[in-house]
Amino acid sequence: MSVSPPTSTPLDQSVSTIRTLPRFTLAQRWEHLILLVSVVGLLITGLPQKYRGAAWSQQILSTPERVYTIQTIHRIAAVVLTLLIVYHLGRAIYLMSRRRLGGDMLPSMQDVKDAFGMLRYLLFLTKAKPKFGKYNFEQKFTYWFVFFSIGIMTLTGFVLWFPILFTRVLPGGVIPAAKLAHSTEAVVTGIFIVIWHFYHVHIERLNLSIFNGWLNDQETRSYHPLEFERLTGEPAEPPQSGENH
Amino acid sequence: MRNYKVKTLLPHWLLYLVLVIAAGLILVQPASAQETSEYCLGCHGNPDLNMTLPDGGVLSLYISEDMLHSSVHAQSGIECSACHDDIQTYPHPPIEYDSKRSLSRSYYLTCRKCHSQNYEKTLDSMHAQAAEQGNLEAPICTDCHGAHDVQKPDEPRSLIYTTCGQCHSQISETYKDSVHGGALIQEDNPDVPVCTDCHGVHNIQDPRTEQFRVAQPDLCARCHADAELMSKYSLPSNVYSLYQLSWHGVDVAVFKSRWPTIWHDSAVCSDCHGVHNIRKTSDPASSVSSQNLLSTCQNCHPTAGPNWVGAWTGHHEISLERTPFVFYTQAFYSSFTPFVLWLSVIYVVLQIIRSTVDRARRSLSK
Repeated sequence: MSVSPPTSTPLDQSVSTIRTLPRFTLAQRWEHLILLVSVVGLLITGLPQKYRGAAWSQQILSTPERVYTIQTIHRIAAVVLTLLIVYHLGRAIYLMSRRRLGGDMLPSMQDVKDAFGMLRYLLFLTKAKPKFGKYNFEQKFTYWFVFFSIGIMTLTGFVLWFPILFTRVLPGGVIPAAKLAHSTEAVVTGIFIVIWHFYHVHIERLNLSIFNGWLNDQETRSYHPLEFERLTGEPAEPPQSGENH
Repeated sequence: MRNYKVKTLLPHWLLYLVLVIAAGLILVQPASAQETSEYCLGCHGNPDLNMTLPDGGVLSLYISEDMLHSSVHAQSGIECSACHDDIQTYPHPPIEYDSKRSLSRSYYLTCRKCHSQNYEKTLDSMHAQAAEQGNLEAPICTDCHGAHDVQKPDEPRSLIYTTCGQCHSQISETYKDSVHGGALIQEDNPDVPVCTDCHGVHNIQDPRTEQFRVAQPDLCARCHADAELMSKYSLPSNVYSLYQLSWHGVDVAVFKSRWPTIWHDSAVCSDCHGVHNIRKTSDPASSVSSQNLLSTCQNCHPTAGPNWVGAWTGHHEISLERTPFVFYTQAFYSSFTPFVLWLSVIYVVLQIIRSTVDRARRSLSK
């Protein structure tokens, strides 16, 4: 990833400039946006189908035609999401074959250490947060949780879309299992995203880097100090003076 | 002049005797249905008595005395003229009916005089609709209950299917071979449904309508969800509640509550188990036996292959033996869901506490 060199002009005291550091490429931002739209579309059209007995669902699905319409929208959104997955995996495989896939998102032992460090920090056992790199363990957990969740949703979704086709090869018992997994996984992931992801990007701090592509140097310094050091070559001072591990 | 003539023609004592007898007859008459029927049978007890109607049909006017006296009406003292209220004199007024059928269709209206509720119900029936559309063969009271020989319609219970079978002969033959009909005929079983249990009695509805179809599982559930009744026959009583959780059952429930007048194709009980030909599921001839299940599924899912039948979890709770895939999926989510959600809730709450404390400390130290 290209790194814009830090501005070296001395700063006027009366004018404060915000230095931005790159975080996501345009393609990655589009990926997130398409993911967001398709997943929201799938949830909106999927939940009324899951809870068909509920009054609110029956208000949305007020005619049989609406059931078919909502199923069609669900399947269109599913195709969009599938294409996105094909692109995402295809790109990763392509980069891997050229040995150019960055390892930022891969889980490592450091993440386990960071998680323990963070737990110690949250339990007031230490004063400083662990120093995170480009993606901290929270963000990696989000990515991989959603990664496997979408994997399950896609597989079971296509099984439910073409049940007769799948039972030509697979035993029939996979159909009700797929139905159970599809509807449970969707709700678990939906709630997980609301609790975990929404807290980290909206409440802990407003992090719009996935939409605009950058974080300012202050945010990068405090939340991703190792990434800050890698990008700027400057030392990232810890947000609070205290011991680091 | 007339008085004088009577006086001269009849002695006083004879006139007196005639008056006493006439008064006696009038006073005794209400309690003497037997006597009126005796009177009518004076002529109608003759087996050869008949008349030819304008359409050429021969109407027998013979009433068997034994048959008449064994009818429930005669036993409760109801006399001929209660129904034949247009014939009070002899010679009778002339008959105005072209055919035997038009005579019956006119006479059965007298049933209404006593049985008005049941009569009103018949007006709402499938049979009344058929008559309105011009089918004069559509049944009227007397076709099912009989006329002069009217008996209790459900004694024995097996009488009911033979009554319906007078017209619906094929269905009654099919019913005879079903698990329900077999138990009725062979064991005089008091619990199995006869025609009227499912179709109703006087207000019999068209069973081919959307409304009948969508409410059909409830009909079976009246017995098959009754734990006490089912335990008598060692049958499970949760078949209906498990059906309601199924793909088909959810769909049908929505149609029932929202769109009962719109046709739906989701399977109801009879689509798989049959209607009048329902057999035990263990019977190889049953439409849901292991040999026949696939072809039954193919009625709606024509391209389904042999594995397809495994997709139906049956009327069974999720279990390792019967539905291992669903069992393991459920086992996974029953631990995964609370684990991951509690983990994230606890983590986020700890973060909120830590950041709030930090913020408070910072503002205090300023």
